[in-house]
Amino acid sequence: MDLLDVTDLTKRYGGIVALGGVNFSARAGEVHALLGENGAGKSTLIQVLAGAVRYDSGRIRLDGADYAPRSPDEARARGIAAVFQELSLVPDLTIEQNIWFRREPLSPLGTVRSRAMRERTLALFERYRFPTLRPDQEVRRLTLAERQIVEIAKGLAGDPRVLILDEATSTLPAREAQWVLDLTRQLAAEGKLVVFISHRMDEVRHIADRLTIFRNGQTVAAHTATAVGDDEIVAQMLGRKLDRLYPERIATTTGVPALRVNDLDAGKHVKRVSFELEEGEVLGVGGLQGHGQRELFQALFGTTRSTGAIEVWGRRTNIRSPRQALVGRDGLALVPEDRRGQGLLLSKSVRENLTISVIRRFADWGLLSETKEAALVREMVEFLRIKTSTPEQPAGTLSGGNQQKVIFGKMLLTEARILLLYDPTRGVDVGTKGEIFQLMRDLAAKGYAILFYSSDLPELVHVADRVLVMRNGEIAATLAGAANSEEGILRASVFDRQAA
Amino acid sequence: MTAFWARNRLIVLAYAAMLVLLLVTSLFSPGFLAESNLRSVVVLAAFVGIVAFGQTFVIIGGGIDLSLPWVLNCAAILMTAFAGGQDVALLWLVPLLLAAGAVIGLLNGVGVAVFGVPPIIMTLATNVILQGLILVYTGGAPTPTAPPLIQFLAVGRLGPVPVVALIWAVLASIAWVLLSRAAFGRYLYALGTSRTVAEYSGVPTLRTAVLTYVISGAGAALGGMLLTGYSGQAYLGMGDPYLFTSIAAVAIGGASILGGSGHYVGTIAGALVLTVLGGLLPALRLSSGALLVVYGAVILLTVAVGSESFGGIAAAILRRRRGQDPAPRK
Amino acid sequence: MNRPASNIGGIAASPLTNNGDAPPAPRRQFDARGYALDRAPFLVACLMLVVIVGLYGSLQSGVFTLDELNLDTTATLTLLLAATGQTIVLLRGGIDLSIGGVISFGTVLAATHFGDDPGSVLLWSAIVLAVGFGVGMLNGLLISALRLQPFLITLATWSILSGASLMVLPTDGGQVPSWWQAIGSASWLGLASPVWMLLALLVFWFWFRSTRLGIALKATGSNERSAFLSGVSLTRMNLVTYGLSGLFAAAAALYLTTQTGAGSPTIGKDYILPSVAAAVIGGVSLFGGRGNLAGTAVGAFILTIIGNLVFVLHVSSYWQPVAQGAILLIAVLASSLAEKAAQGQDR
Repeated sequence: MDLLDVTDLTKRYGGIVALGGVNFSARAGEVHALLGENGAGKSTLIQVLAGAVRYDSGRIRLDGADYAPRSPDEARARGIAAVFQELSLVPDLTIEQNIWFRREPLSPLGTVRSRAMRERTLALFERYRFPTLRPDQEVRRLTLAERQIVEIAKGLAGDPRVLILDEATSTLPAREAQWVLDLTRQLAAEGKLVVFISHRMDEVRHIADRLTIFRNGQTVAAHTATAVGDDEIVAQMLGRKLDRLYPERIATTTGVPALRVNDLDAGKHVKRVSFELEEGEVLGVGGLQGHGQRELFQALFGTTRSTGAIEVWGRRTNIRSPRQALVGRDGLALVPEDRRGQGLLLSKSVRENLTISVIRRFADWGLLSETKEAALVREMVEFLRIKTSTPEQPAGTLSGGNQQKVIFGKMLLTEARILLLYDPTRGVDVGTKGEIFQLMRDLAAKGYAILFYSSDLPELVHVADRVLVMRNGEIAATLAGAANSEEGILRASVFDRQAA
Repeated sequence: MTAFWARNRLIVLAYAAMLVLLLVTSLFSPGFLAESNLRSVVVLAAFVGIVAFGQTFVIIGGGIDLSLPWVLNCAAILMTAFAGGQDVALLWLVPLLLAAGAVIGLLNGVGVAVFGVPPIIMTLATNVILQGLILVYTGGAPTPTAPPLIQFLAVGRLGPVPVVALIWAVLASIAWVLLSRAAFGRYLYALGTSRTVAEYSGVPTLRTAVLTYVISGAGAALGGMLLTGYSGQAYLGMGDPYLFTSIAAVAIGGASILGGSGHYVGTIAGALVLTVLGGLLPALRLSSGALLVVYGAVILLTVAVGSESFGGIAAAILRRRRGQDPAPRK
Repeated sequence: MNRPASNIGGIAASPLTNNGDAPPAPRRQFDARGYALDRAPFLVACLMLVVIVGLYGSLQSGVFTLDELNLDTTATLTLLLAATGQTIVLLRGGIDLSIGGVISFGTVLAATHFGDDPGSVLLWSAIVLAVGFGVGMLNGLLISALRLQPFLITLATWSILSGASLMVLPTDGGQVPSWWQAIGSASWLGLASPVWMLLALLVFWFWFRSTRLGIALKATGSNERSAFLSGVSLTRMNLVTYGLSGLFAAAAALYLTTQTGAGSPTIGKDYILPSVAAAVIGGVSLFGGRGNLAGTAVGAFILTIIGNLVFVLHVSSYWQPVAQGAILLIAVLASSLAEKAAQGQDR
């Protein structure tokens, strides 16, 4: 008997069809994986199931009864809890206050019974073998990984019958990610249903009983995990043969050092990092999340303090702010991690965003020249094929991929030949991803030096010439050629330096 | 045309509101549209506009300046005290006091941009400290009347045009150049929209933020000196009404109180709207209390109309009429 | 896999690999430094109060007595009541400028309508409280429905209420019955009634912040989006927050009339920014989510006792605002430093 049965579900946003008649069913006691590209409908479906969004038509049955929640509260009351990628934790409250938020045990006076709350928290932690956390710790002191774990605890707090996990492992180090996977099996063994979204095929293989594949707002297939191969899954996700996503790699390095870093230290996160980036090279940075990669990029770009020797095109430089980094041809430009919070002025036009870093290039005697600006804008929009009706369109209305292109354009206009790209293809559709990879190699061929971080192993393997693997703030290994493989990177990420 | 409308919708509405108010007032007060009366409206609005000059920059940059009242008052008191009714002293007094206002602004700016003190607190503290200090200095005693030159600047005319209106026009041109045509303007709008993004884009955020407060301080000092010409002398508390009106003028002019949008052109309209409303008062035989009520209502109305929500609600209603679904919330 | 998963917050569990963990911060025991840093603004405020009272006490006799406590509390309570509402709003992450209007209007209504009859006094007291609460809820509604900034909305409603006050009572005046005024100076067990009111306020606070509503309020100020995602109705939260602020401002107005015996259409203005200052000095964050009423009380007392200190030092009373401004800056800088130091130790 299916616990959850979705029939012909549709959801439209204006003219966009997010779900176009989705059929999906899952049973109690199983781990059910949802696969599909970004925008294929997985997120919308789980938002509907979790009560965050209302559907237009179709029908959902939960345990045989009709299910049409009007709010997450109602969904939780019916036993469905979701752990989304976007965390819903409150920084100034403690871990346990967050877990039991709005469901705290109360005394007759209406006040929270802290001892009872503590007991419940510890019981929950023990039941599901949580990594050690101190319940009275304020969430704002926690790392991203720890917060993810608290978010999971929050989802489990109501003892739901269905737990939805959306990319729950993407921010977790290996051991904690494994804990999550074990958790899903434990929940399934308890008779619950776990709906699991992940882009990591190995994880899905590890735990899923069945999988459902989404494409373009519809479910195209449902399989028992053991009965289907990876190639078939990918083909069904993409709907076509796997095109060559990665561009051909031609050696373009010239041997001229663009960036030389020696003994770079940044707080606790980057320790004695030394490396060299050559002109024409695409140098990848890998390793598990949270091992100093973000801080490395920020130190290079000047948004965090660091000590150590940095040479840019042979000259000793001290970069203490982005302003000092963006100095034209001999500068460094960063495409940051957070598109919306660090990269774009969402309410301003594409034009204003593109030109904000290079005002001097179209100012005559301190006064701005609109024609010159328009020329620069046109050049970049054409070069990068940015899809926008007019350059006056607010940047916030563009798609993720196009937003990323605007940020690229903004940095390319600065003419800085050293590019720092932090996870440039995250949340970007496949088509644009390919364009970005091609762009990277084209720029390298033109003499740019590119340092890029990716959390996606295949990207590093196929796009980078060499890969620096970071572990605990240090460079654990530098891989090139044959050693630059998914397995090689993973090993270096996880294990101590091995002799020879 | 539509692009122009989209960007400047609120400013146009503010000017439209001003015109409507003018007409309405003239209905109740038949002499209102006479040249002499309009002239005095412009003069009164000019004072608001001059004080709101700096406030506009600060608000666009995402801050606020609550120290205007006593920077204004200090400049007024110090000028009249040291000029002793003589024009000659103005030669060094005016630049000195403008610089002093700028220095106060610098302190505000440094507190906000370097030390991270919230603008409300920093400028509030400055305001209160200045108030105390100037009172300690003067002991509350009155100062001499303003020199004749200042009085001329405040109430005199060049031909049919009031001098203070010319000063206002000069300031307006400076504002227009700075905001629309100079790098500073771009930096300011970026800073007000998102400080983080501005920094990541290489915008000199520190310098830009501090500069807004410097401008505001100097502008308040200028306003204070001119005001002594209008009332003949400096008196305690003369700056207090200008805090509310400067903020209201900027808000009515379409700027978001959060920063990142707006223009001095709008502030001009805001100053005019407030002044014309003030003229409506005796025309309708309303008490000063009623005027405050009206001010409050006007502010609510303008920001409601200008709010995204309003536009969103209106658009949603239109969309529903056309049988489409409302757009997703994010 | 029967053993618990790794010990992220503590010592690395496995001897073989380094867990693949990012370097953990030592968090085994009670984190005293973190605890102190979190409360630094409040502790700094307490320290400042101690210094100021100490100075005051060294220059004037009879400071460390119950009498002095009674006197100072009587003088501070209006501000404290206003600041209580402001604290609630600040915790929410907003600001309420309209309390000035509520206070003015409250005193004006009281002074013109109380009369002598206790029944009428009670009725109009209830009306004043209702008006305060109602205006507050209106603020909350406008802020939610139109998604506008609290600063502007409350500025506008302040203006409206100020104007209304002037329309009802153009100049200071009116009257309240002497028995009503006597309430403000009554005493019980050696403590003046304002002190009892202060205690009641603190009791209220300690109850309120442990309720679901109190926690949700702090949460909404700490991260509005998270609170929303967790099911908090922002509209209802705004209604309650600003409603309470208006209610406390109205209470401040009523208390004020016991002290002044009259109504004033402009008196409220003098309480707006000081209410924010008192809270900020006491460690309430302007960004929301941090702080509590004990701090605000300390801040309010600091502001009042500075006045005493200035008087006792025989300097011009004009130094009082200077000292208040300086203390405000010190408090904010101290809390900003503490914040930076605290950030140094977390990720």
